[in-house]
Amino acid sequence: MLKIIARRVLVAIPTLVLVTLIVFGLQKILPGDPLLTLAGEERDPQVLAYLREKYRLDDPFHMQYLAWLGNVLTGDFGNSLRTGVPVSTLIAQKLPVTLQLAVMAIIMAMLIGIPAGIISAVRKGTTTDYAANAVALSGMSIPNFWLGIILIMVVSVQWRLLPASGYVPLTENPIQSLRTMLMPSFVLATALAAYLMRHTRSAMLGVLTSDYIRTARAKGLLPKTVILKHALRNALMPIVTLSTLLFGELLAGAVLTEQVFTIPGFGKLIVDAVFTRDYAVVQGVVLCTAVGFIFMNLVADVLYILINPRLRHPQ
Amino acid sequence: MSAPQAASGVSTAASPAAAAPVLSVEGFSLTFDAKAQTNLVEDVSFSVAPGRTLCIVGESGCGKSVTSLALMGLLPSPPARIVSGTARFEGSDLFAMSERARADLRGNEMAMIFQEPMTSLNPAFTIGHQIAEGIIRHRKLSKAQARAEALKMLEWVRIPAAAKRLDAYPHQLSGGMRQRVMIAMALANRPKLLIADEPTTALDVTIQAQILALVRRIQQETGTAMILITHDLGVVAEVADDVAVMYAGRIVESGPVEAIFADPQHPYTIGLFGSVPSLERRQGRLATIKGAVPPLQLMPKGCRFAPRCPFADTRCHEQVPPTVSFGAGHKAACWYAPIEQTMGATQ
Repeated sequence: MLKIIARRVLVAIPTLVLVTLIVFGLQKILPGDPLLTLAGEERDPQVLAYLREKYRLDDPFHMQYLAWLGNVLTGDFGNSLRTGVPVSTLIAQKLPVTLQLAVMAIIMAMLIGIPAGIISAVRKGTTTDYAANAVALSGMSIPNFWLGIILIMVVSVQWRLLPASGYVPLTENPIQSLRTMLMPSFVLATALAAYLMRHTRSAMLGVLTSDYIRTARAKGLLPKTVILKHALRNALMPIVTLSTLLFGELLAGAVLTEQVFTIPGFGKLIVDAVFTRDYAVVQGVVLCTAVGFIFMNLVADVLYILINPRLRHPQ
Repeated sequence: MSAPQAASGVSTAASPAAAAPVLSVEGFSLTFDAKAQTNLVEDVSFSVAPGRTLCIVGESGCGKSVTSLALMGLLPSPPARIVSGTARFEGSDLFAMSERARADLRGNEMAMIFQEPMTSLNPAFTIGHQIAEGIIRHRKLSKAQARAEALKMLEWVRIPAAAKRLDAYPHQLSGGMRQRVMIAMALANRPKLLIADEPTTALDVTIQAQILALVRRIQQETGTAMILITHDLGVVAEVADDVAVMYAGRIVESGPVEAIFADPQHPYTIGLFGSVPSLERRQGRLATIKGAVPPLQLMPKGCRFAPRCPFADTRCHEQVPPTVSFGAGHKAACWYAPIEQTMGATQ
């Protein structure tokens, strides 16, 4: 078991290297010159030359890459070209925000989506099934920013139940922190719950007609055990795949939702960085997100092994 | 396997009427389409007594599996719907029971093994767990006790290194071993009735013989009543006490195995025996029953075998044949039964 996990970790390393190459390489291909941002209005050739020298922009590509990679490995993502603040500091500020939002959103999505999927699979073809599907479809189609605005208007402005915007660190005031994040994570969770519901439903439908479900019923097991133990356990693979993928995506930040609720997360950071051609920041954030994504894939792999005994004993 | 012709002079076992039947099915009809004119299974009646084996024989699609699943309460309903009939299990009608009461019987008083050992076990749980689960469901036993019981069952069905296999997952076992596990699981609570739906069809021949021998041994040891569904006449000759031959949803002939093998009365039964390959020299081609089972919409109003029957006339197509009795429980549903007398003149 540990051996299999160790192998999965090793396989992830080439992926990581590739990611760093792409992150670094893409920046070089992009049009626009970051020096123009740095050099200010005058664009004095001397200043430009000095900056070019300082950031080693005339070095060959691989030298630049290796120098950058070396720094990254020591935790130095460089400084923001615009503000001079170390990128690592920026990430350390925004990451907890995005992480909290992502965790709350995925938990909410799973709590809604998976039970809904199970129920609609078991009650296939009934009104409950159609209703659940209709709700899921609207969950997928309603734009996040619109739902966010509506929620703010109703819940915060009219009912005065939850704060409309902002961010309170979890360490500072846990309850207030959860309260502020409740609406934005719910907004993010709606679409995710819908996807999870659809996938849970189809996975369960596939499993419910299999022979071992008939065996479980032939043993006299009650429907609850048959569905929640024998069927769900086997339907879990696609659910785990989707959940981890969705969570990985959440780690990239949620630009629109963050904007609507004025949350200082990754989404806003990267959009601002792209607009100002703040290369160092873009690289840092993208790299961070990619690593998070690869990590989530690793988590999925480990969960597969836990769920499916056939993967534990490779022939 | 012994030749199908073996049975005529065998000493008579205890008469089937001696013990009260464990299960007796009366006039059972079932449909999958409420609007259809004809039922998939029509007016089926049979019974099994303790310690006896009833073989239901027929080609695929004749309704034998559907009937057994309906008796177990494992058919999804809708679409399946029981149109008429009763199935008295130890006196009470299965079809009148609550879903919960039937679940209490399943895997307990009545159990079933299936045709597909490769897919019938849950891949996510150990076999020990899957056997113990059924034991815990029906008996007040602790986990440890149930596990010990599961081990006993595995030894009983002769699984080598049973203690080690308890923690094995289904994918680590061969098809024959999995079927043994299924049998252990089905018998774990000592059922009074065991329904075996083609338990050996998916296995290779040597394993088939082992599994059959196992099933027979277990039946002798426990005295359970058994319904064995099969299309293999060799299996029937080996294990059956009584036989019911089904064709297109109806029982066309039934009776003690000796009578059916020695003196088949229904043209379909005769044709079925005719299409068994024999080791002796054969003259001409292997006999087959011409044609195919008609689809339900085209089922004749009278005898369902009429379109394929060499003896059929207009009466056969129009009117449902009466069930003719030949004594000792041997019955056939045919206008021409007993067939030698009625056909003697023309042949």
